[in-house]
Amino acid sequence: MAKVAYYPGCALNERSSHLDRSARDATEKLGFELDELESWTCCGAVPPVSKERIMNLIAPSRILKDVRDSGRDMLITICDFCYNTLKRTNFSIRTDDIIRKRVNAFLADDTPTRTYLEEEKSPWQEYEGEVKVVHLMEYLRDELGYAVITEKLKRSLKGLKIAPYYGCVMLRPFDEIQLDNPENPTIMEDFVRALEAEPVKYPYRTECCGSYLSVSSPDASTRLCYRILSSAMKNGADAIVVSCPLCFYNLDSRQKVVLDAYPDFKTIPVFYFTQLLSLALGVGMDRQGFERHYVDVSSALEKIGNSGERDKA
Amino acid sequence: MYKKLGLDPPDNPPIRLDRTKVRGEFGLQVDELSGQHLFACYQCGNCSSGCPLAQEMDILPSRIIRLAQLGQKEEIIQSKTIWICASCFQCTVRCPKGIDIQAVMDTLRQIALDEGVDHFGPDQIDSKHAAEVPQPGLVGVYRKLST
Amino acid sequence: MKRIGVFVCHCGINIAGTVDVERVAREAEKMPGVAFAMDYIYMCSEPGQSLVREKIKEEKLDAVIIAACSPNLHESTFRAAAEEAGLNPWQCEIANIREQCSWIHSDRKKATEKAIKIVGTIVGKTRLNESLEPISVSITKKALVIGGGIAGIQAALDIADSGYPVILVEKDSSIGGHMAQLSETFPTLDCSQCILTPKMVSAGKHPNITLMTYSEVEEVSGYVGNFKVKIRRKATSVDWSTCTGCGLCTEKCPAKVPSEFDRGLTTRGAIYVPFPQAVPNKPVIDRDNCIYYKTGKCRLCEKVCEIGAIDFDQKDLIIEEEIGAIITATGYETLPIADLPHYGAGEVPDVIDGLAFERILSASGPTTGEVRRPSDGMIPKEVVFVQCAGSRDPERFKPYCSKICCMYTTKHALLYKHRVHDGQPYVFYIDIRTGGKGYEEFYHNAEEEEGIVYLRGKVAKIFRDGDKTVVWGTDTLTGRNIEIAADLVVLATAIVPTESTADLANKLRIQTGPNGFLSEAHPKLRPVECINAGFFIAGVGQGPKDIPETVAQASGAACKVISLFSRDHLEQDPAVAWVDEDLCSGCRTCISVCPYDAREFDEEKEIVTVNEALCEGCGSCVAACSCGATQQRNLSDSQIKSMVTASLGGE
Repeated sequence: MAKVAYYPGCALNERSSHLDRSARDATEKLGFELDELESWTCCGAVPPVSKERIMNLIAPSRILKDVRDSGRDMLITICDFCYNTLKRTNFSIRTDDIIRKRVNAFLADDTPTRTYLEEEKSPWQEYEGEVKVVHLMEYLRDELGYAVITEKLKRSLKGLKIAPYYGCVMLRPFDEIQLDNPENPTIMEDFVRALEAEPVKYPYRTECCGSYLSVSSPDASTRLCYRILSSAMKNGADAIVVSCPLCFYNLDSRQKVVLDAYPDFKTIPVFYFTQLLSLALGVGMDRQGFERHYVDVSSALEKIGNSGERDKA
Repeated sequence: MYKKLGLDPPDNPPIRLDRTKVRGEFGLQVDELSGQHLFACYQCGNCSSGCPLAQEMDILPSRIIRLAQLGQKEEIIQSKTIWICASCFQCTVRCPKGIDIQAVMDTLRQIALDEGVDHFGPDQIDSKHAAEVPQPGLVGVYRKLST
Repeated sequence: MKRIGVFVCHCGINIAGTVDVERVAREAEKMPGVAFAMDYIYMCSEPGQSLVREKIKEEKLDAVIIAACSPNLHESTFRAAAEEAGLNPWQCEIANIREQCSWIHSDRKKATEKAIKIVGTIVGKTRLNESLEPISVSITKKALVIGGGIAGIQAALDIADSGYPVILVEKDSSIGGHMAQLSETFPTLDCSQCILTPKMVSAGKHPNITLMTYSEVEEVSGYVGNFKVKIRRKATSVDWSTCTGCGLCTEKCPAKVPSEFDRGLTTRGAIYVPFPQAVPNKPVIDRDNCIYYKTGKCRLCEKVCEIGAIDFDQKDLIIEEEIGAIITATGYETLPIADLPHYGAGEVPDVIDGLAFERILSASGPTTGEVRRPSDGMIPKEVVFVQCAGSRDPERFKPYCSKICCMYTTKHALLYKHRVHDGQPYVFYIDIRTGGKGYEEFYHNAEEEEGIVYLRGKVAKIFRDGDKTVVWGTDTLTGRNIEIAADLVVLATAIVPTESTADLANKLRIQTGPNGFLSEAHPKLRPVECINAGFFIAGVGQGPKDIPETVAQASGAACKVISLFSRDHLEQDPAVAWVDEDLCSGCRTCISVCPYDAREFDEEKEIVTVNEALCEGCGSCVAACSCGATQQRNLSDSQIKSMVTASLGGE
């Protein structure tokens, strides 16, 4: 089975491990393996803005350099924060000579502690941004092709109306990310279609859910989540699909608070895209970690029921 | 000065503009740290119109930029806005002049933090939250909002 | 009896929304003389016009009435359609049931009744309409251009280049106008003099252009194609035919007069040439300020003039010319700072206007382009530019936007910054208006790259404090008031028409608008013509505009003149007054009431005749004629009676 270098990041390693598991299950069904890096650190979650804060670029650069040094040229991530951080770090290294030189000075400095250099297997080589950072969904769209997914479907999601939620950092800043049109993206809608479900387009799909404000200004995040969720429901969605652990956390578990604050509010299930994908590819319900969701997902799953199951093998 | 006179300072004193304020230390610092050019902003207000958190802010993003152009450091670092910005980049992708407003916000936070205005310390999070929130939320909030 | 056709237009819902157009048509059909009536959604459209043409033939109509909008809009359209179908154009009439009925009423029933009556009156008139032929008049193919600024120069050159003679009249001693005062021009920053002087020289040398500077139009009579113009050539007190322009007299003159050209920043003598590049480059004596004219002593200029060109006894000359078309390009002045009490009333020395700042910036100006302030010659480090000084202020000053200030102020701030690198320009504005090719980019560059600070708010007050000039403004974008202790303040004062515009417009009998600018015949479709035939306008005299627009308008006006001159004869509306010679008593009452000098007493016949080419058909003489000798074609007494009867509901 083909292997692609995979950086899970902190959240998928622990608090959002059901995202990680469903991704591994699904990709296996699709015929490739997410090959987790041998050793990795936190990427830092938010890339620095100022050139002064060069330290914040070191961790993601080291991760990328390790991938390059292991002889691979592509790295898959799933968490939108990791994707944004790694991709933008790479962008800075590729486009800014000063940053590249300063980052490499740090990387060179800490090489003696790295085992592979001690063994002199790999001579020191400056990291120049050679690795291509791709989001798993991007990989499915561009490398595998959504048509392959549809071909391998075991359980069609026909009948389910799904509202994709993009959030912020998967699409923005566009100049550096270049994944899809930041004002009118289609990558998630097309993904939903590949599962034979119906995508729901709604105005709030690219509006921020509050991100880390969930920690520092929870009320602000509650208001934002309420607007996003009710916009999706107003447009007929049965469920929301996300790719980012923080978006998932805000949109799913924050519904508890939203319910208290807004009497008119009704809950709506939230899925990771990988959960829907692995379900559709025939992976069992028991492996999805639905018990970790705040909002019960059964209302959505009932819509597809068992009638969706089919044998395409 | 007002204390000496035994008076409260006025609530809205005029800005007494001169060359040193317009392109003073503060403006240059913001430009340099953010890699942006504040005076590229012509105050169209697009960043404010589309800001998902505008309703939580005391000063709209476009006005923050304006205050920065005129060197009004104190008003900015005392504002709620810089801590409410969630770095969602909506303003950045929409700015007709190509200013990375999010970078300016980050810079303003950084300047405020350097001045010792610590907005959100580890002691301010409740333990239940700390145990639940995915790591990017925790790392993000401390990187952005505290020293 | 005539067979009249009535065509009632819906004008979409403009008429049909208020007036029952079908009913109007049905009622019209019953009127005496009406052989056919119908309604249609858009009469002026091509299908509508072809309906008129077809029905004229099918129904054998010998007159048509279009009940629609004002005749100002489509009378000529429908007359042309009628003519195509073989009718005499004067057998086509318009009944205005839109402006005079549907637009001003809301009660459908009453409006419909009124529309029927309007149609009835026009039927009453049309029954008695005569077929007329247009009046043909010849054309004098020579143009008069009044005003020697860039508009006048451009128009004169264009007409002259196409082979027609032009007289270019300018009240000052040199052509060039305000453009000659400017330093550099936005948005390309070309030197104003460099692009203007070649045109001035061409105008001065062109074989088809007769330059009459230091001259003013005294009187205009006649009509399109055949004007008679009297021009006063003011006494220059210098014989320009012998003067070599050596300049000795202007150097030696002991009088000190504030220079108009330098906006009072320097002085000139009483005998002077306004600026070194003047065309013609000949001096004049300003008799109001000349020591000799005031005291009877001096004559220094006469002593130094080796060729004896000084002529203290020279008199004004009145020159009469025959002219076919007249372009008025009288330009502008700016609102005096003295009229702006809140901005120092002209008493604060370091508050100047934009034209003065042009002179300061100009390489040929009083400081040879170095920016120094008037009070003490210091190089100003904090310069405040104040826009809308008197503009966009309907309560206190001028209601309109002066249009060019946003751009020239940006240019001023930019040029200042280029000269004084460590200086800071500030611009107070209400809105920045940069409509024009390359203008927005020019402004963006100034704001973004040149460090000019724009502050959004109108300045309330300017006053002197020691050697500083304090400006009280605001910045609505921060919500904070702004106070600047400036070294120099430049006001973008409102653009106003030149003082002589009103007087000249009276002499020419052309119209001006509420703010004194010359009026065009139609704001969109006839922007360079006056309502009166044969008169054209160009430049800021018509309304604030920048150089490119002025030049375009001037060329447009010139083109209209050339098109007029390309014909040998002109056709005029024959619906004018005529005289029944048997009835005329020769009382001459008509002569006194005619505003167009169209009535002339015939000494031989002892009656008063009508000059048909001059007559505008206003009807004043018809009403004044006590013996009923004067009648108006197609508006005879019997036609008016018939119309009145119809309007009162009779037949």
